Amino acid sequence: MTIVNRKGILVLALLAVLALSAAPLMAQDMEESEFVFAHGGPIRTLDAPVTWYISTHWLANLLYDCLIWRTVDGSGYVGQAAESWENVDDVTWRFNLRPGITFHNGEPLDANAVKWNIDRVRTREDFMVQPQWLDVAEVIVVDETTVDIKTVAPTPYFEFIVSFNGCELLPPGYIEEVGEEQFARAPVGSGPYVLSEFSESDRYVFTAWDDYWGGRPDIDRVIYQVIPEQSAQVAALLAGQVDMVANVPSAEVPGLEAAEGIVLTSETAAVMQHLYLRVETETGNMDSTYPDYQPATLDANVRHAISSALDRELLAEVHGSALPRTGRICPHFPEGGGDSFNSAEGVAAAYNPDRARELLAEAGYADGGPTIYLDSPTVGRAGSEKEVAEVVAVMLEEVGFNVELNILDPSAYGEQISSGGNNRDIMMVSLGCSVPLVPLFYQCNWVQANYNVCNEDFDAVAQAILTEMDGEARLELWGQWWEYWFDTMQTVTLFESQATIAYSDEFDFTPRKDGWYTFRENLKLAGDDM
Amino acid sequence: MQQFIATRVVQGIITLIIVSFLAFFLVRLKGDPVDITAPPTFNEDQKQRLRELWGFDRPLPEQYLIFITKAVTGDFGIAYLSKRPAMELVIERLGATWLLAGVASLIGLSVALPLGIISSLNRNSFFDLGSTMLASIGTAMPSFWLGLMMIIFFSVRLRMLPAFGAQDPSAIIMPSLTMGVGMAAYLSRLTRSAMLEVLNEDYVRTAYSKGLITRTVVFRHAMKNALIPIMTVFGLQLGWLLGGSVVVESVFSWPGLGRLMIDSIGVRDNTVVQAALLFFSLSFISINIIIDILYAVIDPRIRFD
Repeated sequence: MTIVNRKGILVLALLAVLALSAAPLMAQDMEESEFVFAHGGPIRTLDAPVTWYISTHWLANLLYDCLIWRTVDGSGYVGQAAESWENVDDVTWRFNLRPGITFHNGEPLDANAVKWNIDRVRTREDFMVQPQWLDVAEVIVVDETTVDIKTVAPTPYFEFIVSFNGCELLPPGYIEEVGEEQFARAPVGSGPYVLSEFSESDRYVFTAWDDYWGGRPDIDRVIYQVIPEQSAQVAALLAGQVDMVANVPSAEVPGLEAAEGIVLTSETAAVMQHLYLRVETETGNMDSTYPDYQPATLDANVRHAISSALDRELLAEVHGSALPRTGRICPHFPEGGGDSFNSAEGVAAAYNPDRARELLAEAGYADGGPTIYLDSPTVGRAGSEKEVAEVVAVMLEEVGFNVELNILDPSAYGEQISSGGNNRDIMMVSLGCSVPLVPLFYQCNWVQANYNVCNEDFDAVAQAILTEMDGEARLELWGQWWEYWFDTMQTVTLFESQATIAYSDEFDFTPRKDGWYTFRENLKLAGDDM
Repeated sequence: MQQFIATRVVQGIITLIIVSFLAFFLVRLKGDPVDITAPPTFNEDQKQRLRELWGFDRPLPEQYLIFITKAVTGDFGIAYLSKRPAMELVIERLGATWLLAGVASLIGLSVALPLGIISSLNRNSFFDLGSTMLASIGTAMPSFWLGLMMIIFFSVRLRMLPAFGAQDPSAIIMPSLTMGVGMAAYLSRLTRSAMLEVLNEDYVRTAYSKGLITRTVVFRHAMKNALIPIMTVFGLQLGWLLGGSVVVESVFSWPGLGRLMIDSIGVRDNTVVQAALLFFSLSFISINIIIDILYAVIDPRIRFD
């Protein structure tokens, strides 16, 4: 009896401890609004231009303003620190800053500050974003609120460059006063939120700034909470402890659909899954890694046979949430070819196993073969690489290929990719599908040795695109570019990933087309005007 | 005794030097950090300049010398990606890891010792069979699964405990229980077998025959001897908790050193990986020295000199 009583007391004590400790969780602060986003991590420095990791720049976008910024629907640009901007001539972009705009510490965000920032990012060789800014030749302070940026050549996609990684404007006076190390501990910007507390790569609390030029944000606090495990992210959402989870695994969708107060939505994530095929063996270290190996994919017929053998609809289903694609650029961009080759009909037409067999016969493999090596990580940016690679292998074998499937741990796969030339025939890659950088990847002087493509005519069209300032003329060049791209068939596009996003119905949210989880004009309290 | 402690400290320092050597060269076996860190837009010239800036262009022995010379002063360099001193990042996380390991150990010990002792005193009883079964379950349950189940029950269903982080004091309950369960299961079986062995010794029978009550025999005579293997394993387990809490830290988003190290390995931030590895080793060595010293306190027959 005594034992029972002691046990009872222990159980009651444990329950009491649990109840007391949970009390703060149950108490809701009704006065201040708070939005918690479950970030998969890691998060790098908030001295934003140092890093090129996009998931870190999501946070930077709350803390800092850029000159201009990409719109939510991906259709254009909006002013941030710059009130307006214009293309004065082919190589000069003029930005007119908002008068009186300051950083959170009161330091003026004027033309000198803009010059300091752009000079910093384009000259610092230890900054990962530096190559993006090498198109800038000079930054000229015209007056306190006017700055001219001159490019080394006509740069039609300069607005993208100046609104992408490294565009964040930092306070020069403060950095020079405290140094970069201290700045990384206590960063200051001019964006709608102030970083009020953080622990490195764990939790970042942003508090609305009263004096923001666009007015105080609607939501008082935005918190990025790093939760590495997806199942734990979903559990935290169901427990009401976070407000949004991105990239919900398909297995978790039914549970979230059944839950009250959760909204589920899907949006393309501006990421595509591709197969990169070997078209040459000169670059990289292939000669030393696989001496005398001649990839079957050097033959264009084999490359086209690979493309024709793939049922992209099925591969998109294997991935879980994706749209089958055949082009390299997100179709919502005018340069992406629209529906001409990404429509259901276009995708269906690309799948032709009989044509694949004919092409293999033309390539000299009428009696079967060739043997090709397919390298894939177990899991990568898309999350389904292994499964997709296995189905790709089956589809290729169906038309006659002998596939040697090589599934590697992501770390080992990263090493393989980083050592240019280690891939033999095919490697699985996930890549962003936004426009401006894409032509670079198919030029003769492209730096990556894994997938070098060098066709002088193709190269010339790419170069013309990257320097043609007239929009209509540029779109015509894109038409030519696509012909070369499909003809070369170095890249076989499979599908465009879609992110399934789950969030609390206490908020109204519009997902960004670029797949960025940054919260400005696209997030409001439910019922407020977006 | 002083000589013993001095010897163990010197041995610990030698071990640390070996670990520093391994930490330095093993992280480089993973490949060129610049190749991994640099974006695809970096050409070979830009990568080379980055190597020069970070000192990777120098011969490895020279790099090691620079590293070890600075490390003894606590300077592990600036983390490539966070641009903060690696030592500062490690220290920032160390407290959370130690706290978690400490609470988990307390839970483990406070469950394991009573269970093991009572089981050994009531061998083959229902209690003994029950505790054996519980220990088997505790050992077999993966901490990853147990952690998620606890989150679903206490956070999602009951809404009583935070599912992640370390902001609320109650946030430590679930991760420490998750880690403590495995330790309790293993130590309870060890305690039982150690006690059974000791309880069959002549001096225990003598104590009983003198008319001493069970409590006195167990705690004054048997337990002291049984504690030696228990403490040895506890020391190893505590070291494992400090170094192996990565999974639990990830499930509960606990801001500990394990997670920092995994993040840093992923992005080849060698400065942080090296600093964290040395701190893990330092913790492990310190714990073992303390355990060695405690042997003498518990069992006076042990003479270190």
